[in-house]
Amino acid sequence: MSAQNATINFETQGTVAYITLNRPDAGNAINAEMAASLSDACDYINRHNEIRVALLQALGESFCLGSEAAQPPYAVSQLIAAVTKPVVAAIQGGALGQGLELALACDIRLAADNARFGLPQVAEGSMPYDGGTQRLPRLVGRGKALEMVLTGETIDAAEAKRIGLVFTVLPVSSLASEARKLVDKISRMAPWSLQFAKEAINKGMDLTLDQGIRLEADLYFLMHTTRDRTEGITAFLQKRPPVFEGK
Amino acid sequence: MSGFETIIFDKRDGVGYITLNRPHKLNAYNMQMRDDLYDVLGAVKDDDEVRVVIFRGAGEKAFCAGADLSEFLTAPSPIVARQVRWERDIWGRLLGVPQPLIAALHGFVFGSGIEIALFCDIRIAAEDARFGLPETTLGIIPAAGGTQTLPRTIGRGRALEMLLTGQQMTAADAFQSGLVNRVVPRETLMVVAEETARKIASYDQAAVRACKEAVVRGLDMSLASGLKLESQLSAHVSAARRKHHKVKSLIKKERST
Repeated sequence: MSAQNATINFETQGTVAYITLNRPDAGNAINAEMAASLSDACDYINRHNEIRVALLQALGESFCLGSEAAQPPYAVSQLIAAVTKPVVAAIQGGALGQGLELALACDIRLAADNARFGLPQVAEGSMPYDGGTQRLPRLVGRGKALEMVLTGETIDAAEAKRIGLVFTVLPVSSLASEARKLVDKISRMAPWSLQFAKEAINKGMDLTLDQGIRLEADLYFLMHTTRDRTEGITAFLQKRPPVFEGK
Repeated sequence: MSGFETIIFDKRDGVGYITLNRPHKLNAYNMQMRDDLYDVLGAVKDDDEVRVVIFRGAGEKAFCAGADLSEFLTAPSPIVARQVRWERDIWGRLLGVPQPLIAALHGFVFGSGIEIALFCDIRIAAEDARFGLPETTLGIIPAAGGTQTLPRTIGRGRALEMLLTGQQMTAADAFQSGLVNRVVPRETLMVVAEETARKIASYDQAAVRACKEAVVRGLDMSLASGLKLESQLSAHVSAARRKHHKVKSLIKKERST
């Protein structure tokens, strides 16, 4: 499956889906067309069982510099967050405003050493509207999130790593290949394990610990009904690599 | 209390020691260990002589390398397994121990091993400790609270990355991410754990338990409810102390007359 249009390239290779923001001359700013395309891509990934992991990347100097000026804002981060499979973001250059909000909706963020992060909306008399005020504090803590939102200042990749916004910083030249390696690795893991683990963490963090543990246990016992569980444990006991079918 | 097959329990000077003791199996967690831990924790939570507990692993190689997978393929149906899970709710029991729990971690700390450690209040690691939740590489997910306790300890972002990639952590990574409170040389691991335990054991136990409760329960609440819980607990601790002093001075008075 592969689709090219003005705003994103969407392509699948085997069990991996690649979403590539494709408005490099406009800093990959999000407009109506891009929002609609992202929505289609997320739908496709959710509906197709053979897709196990998605990579969100961007062409050009910057990952995404925010929303297209002079257009009404289009919320997109909830679409990415609602993808049931792991989503990895590969971020170079600026991830600003809605661009950062998009990255925050992903599960794993890889950053190039030239990456910059910020929510500058307040300086423009506006405020984050695509999940930034909720996802940023849940990721880096209230103190740092308030500082970023209230000052609108950007931080560099090293600082982003220090505060836990990203965990891996790579030379810009190897970002794309390392991201590809990571999604390939994830694509060989057990698909239902990944989806259930993602659900347990993301849904569980909104529950009390007690309720979260109950959610985890229910998902765990549901895993007992999969063939992949038998395969994973048998392969481990036989000291061979497992082959997961997603069944 | 003794006579457990898979653990050793002893207590000295207010400190309870629970040693996972299957060193030939890297202290892998099995059904017998579940039953032994369930029993020992049931006794410990009501034992006022135990003011703080240290968890550790026997042998050189591991705190606990995870669940004993050789038992997994003979597991009962999901329905029965689920029933047993809540009948012998070892993790709920661990969560309900009012005393502070300290984990002294070395070697492999994987799967159920890291999940036991995550239910502890303070984690101290030797430099050789290695951490991981390999479940997603085995076609399962963590089932001893790991998907809940890990993000609450190291944050959602890093927890997702660790689980979704099957990534392991060194002791240094674990310290940097807040998974462990301290990293110490292997030979001083128990010394440091005991120093920490003795310090806690020397404090007023009502205050210690109230602190633990305020933090653990408070994190499940809105800030306003958490502040209310804190003020209730603190009033309770102060009242208990005033009563204690009053009784003490009354006894003193009586003896002097």
